[in-house]
Amino acid sequence: MRKHFKDVLIKIAEKDEKLILLLGDISVFLLKDFADRFPDRFYNIGICENTLISMAAGMSSQNLHPIVHTIAPFITERSYEQVKLDMCYNGFGGNIVSCGGSFDYAWDGATHHCYTDLELMRMLPGMEVMQPGSKKELGLLLESQYANGKPSYFRIPADEHLLDLPVEFGKANVVLHKDSAKLTVITAGPLLNNVYEACKDMNVNLLYFHTIKPLDAEVLARYSKTKMLVIHDAFGLFESVCATVDSKVKYHGIPDKFCCYYGTLEDIRRLLMLDAAGIKNIIQKELSGIK
Amino acid sequence: MDCFCKSVRQDILRISRHSGHGHIPTCFSVVEMLAAVYSEMKHNPADTSWDERDIFILSKGHAALAHYCTLAHSGYFPVKDVYNFGAFSSIFGCHADRHRVPGVELSTGSLGHGSCVGAGIALAFKIKKSPRKVYVLIGDGESNEGTVWESLMVAAHQKLDNLTVLLDHNKSQIRCLPITRPADKFRAFDCETLEVDGHDINALKTALSAPSNGRPKVIVANTIKGCGCKTLAENMFAWHRRSPSKEEMEMLLGELK
Repeated sequence: MRKHFKDVLIKIAEKDEKLILLLGDISVFLLKDFADRFPDRFYNIGICENTLISMAAGMSSQNLHPIVHTIAPFITERSYEQVKLDMCYNGFGGNIVSCGGSFDYAWDGATHHCYTDLELMRMLPGMEVMQPGSKKELGLLLESQYANGKPSYFRIPADEHLLDLPVEFGKANVVLHKDSAKLTVITAGPLLNNVYEACKDMNVNLLYFHTIKPLDAEVLARYSKTKMLVIHDAFGLFESVCATVDSKVKYHGIPDKFCCYYGTLEDIRRLLMLDAAGIKNIIQKELSGIK
Repeated sequence: MDCFCKSVRQDILRISRHSGHGHIPTCFSVVEMLAAVYSEMKHNPADTSWDERDIFILSKGHAALAHYCTLAHSGYFPVKDVYNFGAFSSIFGCHADRHRVPGVELSTGSLGHGSCVGAGIALAFKIKKSPRKVYVLIGDGESNEGTVWESLMVAAHQKLDNLTVLLDHNKSQIRCLPITRPADKFRAFDCETLEVDGHDINALKTALSAPSNGRPKVIVANTIKGCGCKTLAENMFAWHRRSPSKEEMEMLLGELK
């Protein structure tokens, strides 16, 4: 996925000299091609996430299009006030493109797990929040939003879902629709793979969101007569859905405790019942409670 | 006292009295710095979006009233407009909003943001090969924040010689975490560092126009919190957020020389 990020950046930079890349000392080797081709637009600023965000806001104030790239917990949780004040309150946009969201760095432990980023960013006025789940989504969303002057947050996932879905900023996808279904399952990002696997033979609807804010209220409204179950390995989508619909909405995902395990992304998802089997189990329980 | 600076201090006192708000001692310690910067920098009160203007950021946002009065006396808006300072519908909040106040480039209030945003603007000017400059006024209390040092490390590494940081060294942190030997610290951070009397406008102007030698410049301005009024200077902690009564205002106006 990160290699695709590099390809998209080079494609944009070839036609837009206002694109500036600011790194927090990550992906430096990966982005060597970019640095070689656009040396005056490539800055590996340092391991200083607060300053990274503020500098991006300063650059945006001069009509450049900065892209800040580093690890999710450090650029969102550590730099929250910089995003809130320097980007959002001051109205100096810019793009934050993180990697290592949720449990993508499972083996590095709780210091590197980050499941609050989407919700933290969602709460800030004026912010756009995206969780692309595939290379196609990452490329199209970045290209369509990077230069709009607004503060925008993108997550680059470690894995991707394998469904080929239409991509439009702010629009959800109806992945499964059953006229008789009384439950609508809602998810976002690469977790779609497991959720789809669990849902495909069940009597449920499945909605998929790559854009957490603004949320596609129109699609949600169509399913407002059904019960809703958000399955997501992060915070943000559930809160956004609850703020949008009147329906009863349940959540399956992040528990109220730190994850003190290492291993792989798959290990953590299995632990949290976010693998396909675990998700299927959760949905079956939910369906058994619906008359 | 310089005539411009005396007028600014008089207005700060009157507006603080009228509004019931104000950090008067901290405002009084930056008056000469503001006067010197607005005298030296390229700016146009009649065209606040002039694309050749230099950028000034008041990073210690609680001195906003001094900034408003300086902008008013520089022709940005009438000083009478500032009398509703801090009121519900006023555009002049106790911390400035760049969207509402002509001439304010960054909304500040939380400390430790100005030098970081300023570094980004300075780098943007370098990328655009623009001769424009960036000035950031920070406090010594503000220098407790790690982002001040983080941003200056980056600015020095990126050779941002178009960035000037003015430190209001009014020793307000003596009761907490003082920045001892600030000039030594900024030199150690590879900044072109000058130390001046922060109430000497000519010395400040000389420092502002001195060469940067390919590095960000830091002007350590030694100031007195409450400078201009003996009562404020001798009781800076008691007056930190106070607004004067009518009698106190008359007394303080009388102390201004």
